[in-house]
Amino acid sequence: MPQQTRPSLDDPRISIPAGSEWYEPAPTPQTERQAEFLTLKDGEMFVNMGPQHPSTHGVLRVVIKIDGEKVVDLDPVLGYLHRGVEKLCENADYHQAICYTDPLEYVSSLFCEAAPVAAFEKLMEVDVPRRAQYIRVLTMELNRIASHTLFQGWMALDLGGLTPILWSFIERDEIVDMLAALTGQKLLYNYYRIGGVNGDLNHEFMSRLGTWMSRAAAQIDSNLGLINENELFVRRTRGLGVLDAKTALRMGVTGPNLRSTGVPYDLRRDRPYLVYPELEFDIPTRTEGDSLARYLVRIDEIKQSIRIIDQVLHEMPDGPVMAKLPRLIRPRPGRAFGAVEGPRGVYGTYAISDGTDQPFRMRIHDPSFVHLQLVGPLTRGNLIADTMAVMASLDPVMGGVDK
Amino acid sequence: MSGAALVWARLTPAGRILAVLLPVLAVGGALTTALLIVFGGAIAATIGANLPIVRFLAASVITFLITVPTAFLLIYMEMKIIALMNLRIGPDRIGPAGAVMSIVHGLKVLMKEDYTPPSVDVPVFTLAPVVVYLASFMTVMVIPFAPELTSVGLELGLLYFFAIGGLGVVGLMMAGWSSFNKYSLLGGIRAAAQAISYEIPLTLSVVGIVILTGTLSLPKIVAAQSGSLLDWFIFRQPLAAIIFFIAITAEANRTPFDNTEADQEIVAGFATEYSGMRFGFFFFAEYVNVFIVSALFSAVFLGGSNAPLVLPFHPEIIINLGSLGIMLPILAGIAPVIGTLVCAAPIWFASSRIKTWQALVAGFLIFGGLSTAAIGFWAWAMIPALGNLIWFLIKTFSLVFVFVWMRGTLPRARIDQLMGFAWKWLLPASLLNIFATALAVLLTTSGGN
Repeated sequence: MPQQTRPSLDDPRISIPAGSEWYEPAPTPQTERQAEFLTLKDGEMFVNMGPQHPSTHGVLRVVIKIDGEKVVDLDPVLGYLHRGVEKLCENADYHQAICYTDPLEYVSSLFCEAAPVAAFEKLMEVDVPRRAQYIRVLTMELNRIASHTLFQGWMALDLGGLTPILWSFIERDEIVDMLAALTGQKLLYNYYRIGGVNGDLNHEFMSRLGTWMSRAAAQIDSNLGLINENELFVRRTRGLGVLDAKTALRMGVTGPNLRSTGVPYDLRRDRPYLVYPELEFDIPTRTEGDSLARYLVRIDEIKQSIRIIDQVLHEMPDGPVMAKLPRLIRPRPGRAFGAVEGPRGVYGTYAISDGTDQPFRMRIHDPSFVHLQLVGPLTRGNLIADTMAVMASLDPVMGGVDK
Repeated sequence: MSGAALVWARLTPAGRILAVLLPVLAVGGALTTALLIVFGGAIAATIGANLPIVRFLAASVITFLITVPTAFLLIYMEMKIIALMNLRIGPDRIGPAGAVMSIVHGLKVLMKEDYTPPSVDVPVFTLAPVVVYLASFMTVMVIPFAPELTSVGLELGLLYFFAIGGLGVVGLMMAGWSSFNKYSLLGGIRAAAQAISYEIPLTLSVVGIVILTGTLSLPKIVAAQSGSLLDWFIFRQPLAAIIFFIAITAEANRTPFDNTEADQEIVAGFATEYSGMRFGFFFFAEYVNVFIVSALFSAVFLGGSNAPLVLPFHPEIIINLGSLGIMLPILAGIAPVIGTLVCAAPIWFASSRIKTWQALVAGFLIFGGLSTAAIGFWAWAMIPALGNLIWFLIKTFSLVFVFVWMRGTLPRARIDQLMGFAWKWLLPASLLNIFATALAVLLTTSGGN
């Protein structure tokens, strides 16, 4: 059927004529908020960014209502990467459940598996050997550095810089290779076990770690020169997407995004787990709460992580790395919540046991999901380019958002 | 099946192309030769009578032809330099150090499907890349490569340059509007806003130079900078040079002002819906633009084809080739053979492991290198324009390097910062520059009188 008239750019049924079998009438809004979002004032139009868009960090779709270059309203649409991880975990036994949680946030997968392991250990009431605890702290801090260096490159890439992403990948690649030497996997490590870790530190890991530690701090500092001292970068991020402490706490924001508003909340201090109470480190905070502050807090955390690794390497005791547990994990009926402080915020797992070898219910709290709801409020009124800067500074990973 | 059909069926695609092409070429060549023999005298007389028109046509064709290899060279430079800055290797497979890579890219773009999406405005959509490419290639015509090497020595060269350079944005707007895509629309609008904002400081920044030289002709502006290094306008008009450089960066849509095709925000801007060679035209035009703005900067501010240092000596070789008479073709026929043999002999004698053909190939290459160097030296001594051309290209490509360097280093400016910078800083600064220059000229001339 030939088109009679040239349709308007704002027509939701673009190029689908009314008689066609694909024709769908525009959806009727279900809520007030939806109705408000779907009404276009004069001069406004919708732009659909994603799910295939160069800079939405995975398969996120953002519907933006723009007036010229200004973003009037914004609505993230989730679910393009949904796999049903929680339900999958409920149909697997306790050991198998851990490897389903690995790919949640694929750039920091050790934290994603540390949270369910912590919950299951509480269910089993098992004490983790001290050497295993130190190894967990060591590997998690390494993973935190890898995640933050990647964030640093992503942030610059989303602002249009080509080089920083490749420079920051140098550090990340070295850490990833190191962890691959230890765990046998480059990305989804599946290294933590209920009651310990899978295998002691090996020679290749230790020698690579030693070489890397001797130059890490200087190398990361030199990479930062390209971004931190760049006037264009600072001007684009300072004062952009300001988040105040009250809103952040009300929204359930955690991690560096919360600490950038001045709230020094860090699970490693406030609900200590593993051997963190015995280690010395600062919790970097900033008070501005803008995109630049969120970026700088993460950069400061890299330095603190290097400090922690240094202490761990000096204080690590000898001993077993695995507690004595039956092969089939069958905890007593009960419920437990385990949480760790990850590079993006609090990773939590809530597990209910009914006495069988499978978790009866399992819920995963992911910081990226919480932080993604900030994109709308923080971007409204700014420009299209700022959407990317805000989204990059919140650092969501879609694997964790959609679960 | 007849014999001819059988042969045709067994041919490869390349063979079929040749089978069609060769007879056509043979017939065409024979016809051309015959025409030249019959009408040669008349054609030569016509050319002699209409020399300016013929010169113009030849110059247009040559300028059009040099834009394509220039774009290839620039694309290769950008790939390789940014790769080095990113600590990558970059293209390294096709040709020595990947030098042919960009040509292969060009061929790839030619072979890709050229898709026209439904509901685009077809005539405008088709015309837009042509307009963009024409605008950039037409500006090449007034670039003074060397005193004798300007396609068209327009009196109003500078004005022509800005006027035609501004046409490119019409093509971008056409692409953005006709694509029927919101990203394209945003890219086109951004391109228009950016070009309008930055053309004003761009044009105003050279007014100081026009006041000093009293001409808009690019060869004359270059000639006004001959002499010492301090005669270059970058030292006499430093503020204008800074404004001009920033403005041409925005004009060529280069980082940090590449908002029109900011792939993190609006996918590919105006080029989102384009594919195949029509996208290739946008891509080429971008790189030709980089070359053009660099050439303009080096012509207006860096002395153009003037050497920065006057060499203390210039070799003078006067060989009248005509005096050799009949010996010239004989020498030209024999010299390569003898030269190759002479160069191959030491290699052949050096080791019995080297085969004769290897020695001959090596000898041919050595002789080729030596004779190229000799001819180059001779050309440099005999043709003064060659030295000028080399200086001009060195300056231009240094600036191209600076553009690539900025792309590798800087993030992108936001659109409001970009516009604010043009109107709040560059425009007042260029007005100040005009005022200061005019005042200085007024004071010095009245003092002189």
